[in-house]
Amino acid sequence: MATPIIETKDLRMAFGDNEVLKGISMQVMPSQCVVVIGPSGSGKSTLLRCMNHLNEPTGGTILFEGHDIAAEDIDINLIRAQMIMVFQSFNLFMHLTAKKNISLALMKVKGVEQAEAEDMALKMLAKVGLSDKADAYPGQLSGGQQQRVAIARAMAMQPKALLFDEPTSALDPELIGEVLDVMKRLALEGMTMVVVTHEMGFAREMADHVIFMDQGVICEQGPPEEIFVNPKNERTKVFLKRILCQVDAMDPLKPNYEDTSLENGNGTCETAPVAEQSAKEVVKNDARTGLKRWFGLR
Amino acid sequence: MNLDWSVIPENFWFLMDGAKLTLIIAIIAILFGFAGGILLGMARISKNRAVYGISTGYIEAFRGTPLLVQIFLIYFGLPSLGLQFTPLMAGILALSLNSAAYQAEIFRAGVQSIPKGQMEASRSMGMTYNQSMFHVIIPQALRNSMPTYTNEFITLIKDSSLVMAIGVLELTYSAKDVIADTFQPFVLYIFIAVVYFVMTFSTSRIMRFVERKFAIPGTMGGE
Repeated sequence: MATPIIETKDLRMAFGDNEVLKGISMQVMPSQCVVVIGPSGSGKSTLLRCMNHLNEPTGGTILFEGHDIAAEDIDINLIRAQMIMVFQSFNLFMHLTAKKNISLALMKVKGVEQAEAEDMALKMLAKVGLSDKADAYPGQLSGGQQQRVAIARAMAMQPKALLFDEPTSALDPELIGEVLDVMKRLALEGMTMVVVTHEMGFAREMADHVIFMDQGVICEQGPPEEIFVNPKNERTKVFLKRILCQVDAMDPLKPNYEDTSLENGNGTCETAPVAEQSAKEVVKNDARTGLKRWFGLR
Repeated sequence: MNLDWSVIPENFWFLMDGAKLTLIIAIIAILFGFAGGILLGMARISKNRAVYGISTGYIEAFRGTPLLVQIFLIYFGLPSLGLQFTPLMAGILALSLNSAAYQAEIFRAGVQSIPKGQMEASRSMGMTYNQSMFHVIIPQALRNSMPTYTNEFITLIKDSSLVMAIGVLELTYSAKDVIADTFQPFVLYIFIAVVYFVMTFSTSRIMRFVERKFAIPGTMGGE
């Protein structure tokens, strides 16, 4: 069996006392599209950010093609260049045109000549259907167009994996489709992808493997047919029911016949007390460090 | 009241020599202060405690003491340690060191006004911290900081008059010289006030022009 491109072993992450990831072990095989779903605050985004080492995990290991990315002798920049993240808020460089956004990292990280890098940029823009926007600045593009440029920027580096962190969550509903189309095309081309999303349609259609996370643990994982059609874990069931119910509720022509039983169901309010508690913690910490901070000490 | 405005044309070139020196002092101090400000500002956001501590101490010291005292300290004080400067050099040095402290804070505010995601996106593609800083963060930070930099440059032009205290014959000192001969303080101080205003107003116009030229299309300020 081939080595997985990304593998996490008992990955743990805590912000202060707030444990966000409580031992995540998962694998991403080459050309696989892994979709991570789960309620907000379940640690999905943190998991991705740890893989890219934007957050340093507090425990466990992350292997990229079998190499521990936290090892002393590993250049994290070389790893990152092969496993690029696409963000919820696009994060295009605001002062550069679409073309320059794409060519910058090619030139600085891979040492590609400017002319060649810009050729590559145009090629990638064509691939996401934005050839005519090469000289536009991010501020002149719609959200959907910005996200497509961001995907083109990541693709231009020819990474071995792409990490999508809720790529459509900041978009207007009518712009989501164009971004998902690009992602579907990438998945069909055999790109290795880890996608955190709330787009269940995409997950159902494109995922090779679905992971359901809640409160920092993987509750259930498996092929999409299994997770969506026949979920075994109670929390998965509640989550999927709620999401699908919302989709139904958004349809104005559909009578709302099933809502009462779910609104009062267990699980819906589970996260609220946790959030309240952590807010209290923050206040307490503030008082303690207040004096220190007043003197400009860290 | 006997205001004799003819003293201006009579001493015009003498006063203009002073104005020239004021300009030279201001421009050199602005440039050194700018470079020093970027280095200090970078140090101020460093995670290295020593680097952070030293830069913070420097900034607090230079912001917290009068510029005139700093000028005296450099010109009259440092010779006791074996460091002798000409009045002009001492003046430029004091203004540069002082302005660097202020410009460091301007630069830091500019960098911290850039959303965290810009750095993350850049790092996520494998660029190093320095590459991301240099190609992504600083170009945007400087643009955001332009109005504040304009403030600082204008302040520095005006504060350069303080170096007359150690005998640098810049604009204010030349005016004082002429007053000693002609007893026309009102005329001369009004005149140099106008000259200072021309310098500061031009500075603000030039900075506005630069600001417009580098404005990012599709953002506020850009078209």
